[in-house]
Amino acid sequence: MTSTRRGPSEWGPAELQRALLSPGESPLFVLDVRNREEYEAWKIEGRFGPETLNAPYFEILERGGKDDMVDSVAAFVESELSAKLPREGTVLAVCAKGGTSEYVAEGLRRSGYSAANLSGGTKAWADYHEAKVVVDGPTQVLQLSRPARGCLSYLAVGGDGNATAIDPLRDPSPMNILLTERGLTLERVIDTHAHADHISGGPALAKERGAPYYLHPFDAVHPFDLVPGDLEFLNLCDQMSIRIGESRLEVMHVPGHTLGNCALLLDGQVLFSGDTIFVASISRPDLGGRAEAWARLHYRSVRRLSELPDETLVLPGHFASYRELDAQGAARAKLGDLKQGNPGVALALGSEEEFVNGILDGLNAIPESYVEIKRVNAGLAQAHDERASELEIGKNECALA
Amino acid sequence: MGGIHEKMDFDKELDARGLSCPMPLVKARMELNALAAGQVLKVVATDKGSVADFKGWSDAAAAVELVAQETEAEGENTVFVHYLRKVS
Repeated sequence: MTSTRRGPSEWGPAELQRALLSPGESPLFVLDVRNREEYEAWKIEGRFGPETLNAPYFEILERGGKDDMVDSVAAFVESELSAKLPREGTVLAVCAKGGTSEYVAEGLRRSGYSAANLSGGTKAWADYHEAKVVVDGPTQVLQLSRPARGCLSYLAVGGDGNATAIDPLRDPSPMNILLTERGLTLERVIDTHAHADHISGGPALAKERGAPYYLHPFDAVHPFDLVPGDLEFLNLCDQMSIRIGESRLEVMHVPGHTLGNCALLLDGQVLFSGDTIFVASISRPDLGGRAEAWARLHYRSVRRLSELPDETLVLPGHFASYRELDAQGAARAKLGDLKQGNPGVALALGSEEEFVNGILDGLNAIPESYVEIKRVNAGLAQAHDERASELEIGKNECALA
Repeated sequence: MGGIHEKMDFDKELDARGLSCPMPLVKARMELNALAAGQVLKVVATDKGSVADFKGWSDAAAAVELVAQETEAEGENTVFVHYLRKVS
C-alpha cells in the first residue's frame, strides 16, 4: 500500500490516485493501449477526467509500421496523435500489466511528450488499496478503499485496542497491515450483507485471526440457488448491540439489497450503511432475482435509515464515481445532505408505488459473475487468485444507475 | 478445434514462450514480413494476453489472416498457439 519512490517517468498506483483526486496544475492524459474490449469494459476514471484515448498496441505497431516497438510508437504518435495529445501535463501510458506501456512511454518521450508509464498496469491499479481515518475520537474509524472497483471496507478501532472489521475485501493485506502497524487485536469481523460484486475477505480474515465472523442468516442462503450456504458465522439480527471499546454498534436489519442486508449504527452518530445507501445513489434490489418484492422491502429500509438524525455521518460500502469522493478520496456524507441531494433517498421519501416504478424502470443487467460470487460468499464454491480476479473485473454495479 | 491442429500446416515456427507482451507480437510481425504471400507462421506463446492480442492484430492488419488459435497443455504450462497467414 505504501508506494516506493519512483522517478517521474514511472507511476505507481499511489501516484495515479493522487492525480485522479486532484490534478492540480498538471493535467493528466491517459493513453491506454489495451484492446478495445478491455477498454470499453472498464477504463481509468477520476474526479476531473482524465482525458483518455484508446489505441491498442498492435494497431500502434501496425500503423507505426516499424519493426521496433518504440520506433512504431514514435512514428504513430507523430503521424496520428499529435493533434490529440497535450504538450502540458503528463501523458500516462497504460496497458494491462505495465510491460508494453513502458515502450509506449519511451516512444512518447522520443516525440517530445512528458510521459510516464503506469507500473504494473491496470492489473496493479485494480489491486491497489488505500486506507484513511474518517472518524477520529476515542473510537476511531478507518475507511479502506479499492479505488479501481469502488469497494469500501472499514476498521472500527476501540480505545481498548480491539478492532472490528466491517466488509473486509478479498485481499487481506490492507487490513492485516493496519492491525499490525497499530498493534490492534481483531475482535470480530462483520459482513453487512452477502456481497455480489466481490468476494468477501471476511471468513478468511476471521479464521486467520481466530475472531468470530458475523452475517445475517438470511444472507447465508444463496438467493438464486435457494441452497443454504456452508459458512461458519454468528447471527446478526435487528437491534443487536455490539460493544467496541467504550462504544456501541447497533445492528439495523434493512432488507432490500439482499434479504439479510444490515446497516450498523455506531454510538447513534456514524452509520455504516453497507450497500443500502451510497453517497450519490441507493443500492439496487434486484440482485436476488426478485426486483419488485425486494424493492418494496428496500423502500421501507431506506425510509427507516432516513429517520436517523440529519447529522448522522453515512459511511457507504461502495462508490460508483470519484464525484462521490472528497479531496482525500474518502466517501462519506451527512444524512441530511443525502436527503436533500441523493435521488435514491429522495425517491424513497415519496410513495411506495413511485419508488418501485422508479427502480424497476432503471435496472441494468445483472453482471454474470455476481451469481458465482454469491456462491463463493455463501461457501458453496471456491475461487482463488486468477479465477477470483476474473470474477472481480471492473467497477462494482451495486448502485441504481 | 482439437483435431485441426494435428493437420495444421505452417512454414515457419516462432517460439515466443516466456516472452511478455508486446514481444510475441513484435517478433511475429517481423517473421511474417519475411515470409512469402500465402505462407503460414506458427507462434507458440505462454502469454495469455496473446490470444486477444493476435486476434486484434489480425483484425487491424490487412496483410495478416488469423487461421487458427489453440490452447494446449505443455507439461505443467499452458501454451497459446497462433497460426497466421501472410495475405500479401
